[in-house]
Amino acid sequence: MIYLLDIIIYAIIVSAVSFLSIFLITPAFIKYLNKKGKVVVDYHKPGKPNVPRPAGPVLLIGLVISEITLYFLILDVKIISVLLTTIIAFIVGYIDDVKTMPGWFKPAALILAAIPIIILGSHGDYLGLIFDSAFIPILYILLILSIIPIVGNTINSIDVFNGVASGFIIITMIPLLVSVILFGSTNVFLMGLPLLFGSIAIYQYHKFPSKIFLGDSGTLLLGSMYASLSIVGNSEIIGVIALLPAVMNSFLFLSSVKKIVEHRQVKTRPVAVCDDFRLMASKDSSAPATLVRLILARGPLTEQEIIRRIFILGTFSSILAFISIVIQYSFMMGEISL
Amino acid sequence: MRLFGLFMLIFIMWMMIMIVSYFLVFIIGPLQVNLFYNSTDRLVSSIIKASLAIGLVVVLILLLGILKTKYLQKTLLRN
Repeated sequence: MIYLLDIIIYAIIVSAVSFLSIFLITPAFIKYLNKKGKVVVDYHKPGKPNVPRPAGPVLLIGLVISEITLYFLILDVKIISVLLTTIIAFIVGYIDDVKTMPGWFKPAALILAAIPIIILGSHGDYLGLIFDSAFIPILYILLILSIIPIVGNTINSIDVFNGVASGFIIITMIPLLVSVILFGSTNVFLMGLPLLFGSIAIYQYHKFPSKIFLGDSGTLLLGSMYASLSIVGNSEIIGVIALLPAVMNSFLFLSSVKKIVEHRQVKTRPVAVCDDFRLMASKDSSAPATLVRLILARGPLTEQEIIRRIFILGTFSSILAFISIVIQYSFMMGEISL
Repeated sequence: MRLFGLFMLIFIMWMMIMIVSYFLVFIIGPLQVNLFYNSTDRLVSSIIKASLAIGLVVVLILLLGILKTKYLQKTLLRN
């Protein structure tokens, strides 16, 4: 009982530290970015307003403070590995925020972000495969080296409208945290709470109409931390299922353009802005296929309508993740066998 | 319903992940190769299992590619 009480107290502390630090620092950081002229144009709105960018540093500060607080409470080395992965992903994204890098840079550099998890031995040797787990010690290392860049870039590529990346992470973190507590450990569950509550805090400023954009530093940080939590929490497949709309978006884009490039490098845009600022799917057959282009295939929509539909798809994939959790748990407990 | 097609696409992707997981656990996992009847067999079994698992994931990606092409033809190009 005392143990459960400790968990509840720690959960409240790390959640509050993460939420409050990000929620309270962001307004001052928005002012700072505006003052320094670090703004980008929001092309999807009338008047094309300037929006400060990036929010990555604020997210990093909040997450580092809360994870270090948690480290002093539970002294688990997994916190350090997740934190280092997140920091490296942030640095990669920040470099891309301040200097436009080629398309290969982010996926290649994010491989470095996976190294702390491997070096500190925070991963398991078993991959949870819904019906059972597979002992794959060597393949698993290769898997870690690919999961972090893939998930990081997946969240990065879905952040095309106000609040999508932060909102999507909030939705998909719920099944991931449930999975982590069932198949991982309580410590990893506690480590995941700052990401959930930090995302809720930044969403208040990132949601439509955005007062700040996350930038590459923010999206890569969110994606990489999500991936590292799914790895150390033995919930890789559940994490991927929850992210299916975003995975599909990356897959559609990559298989359309046939190479790793930045969205800004693509000559034909997948969507176009109408005169009334609604968005419509490109009629050009050479334009890359993306999730948003598919959503718009049956006619133009406003930005808010598109955002709502992306969240509905995220909720649907999260429900599938919950169904997968039930199946995996049933097999684990021996309630079902084939 | 505008999102029905995308729901179906995500559902099929999920089903494919479940089927691949099933194959990995129940078909490839228990596979044992006895060629030399010594410790080398374990290594050979592991290599075959790893190759089959990677091959299965490649097949999954190819199937997703086909699925994507069919869906795009049905939605974007028709419109």
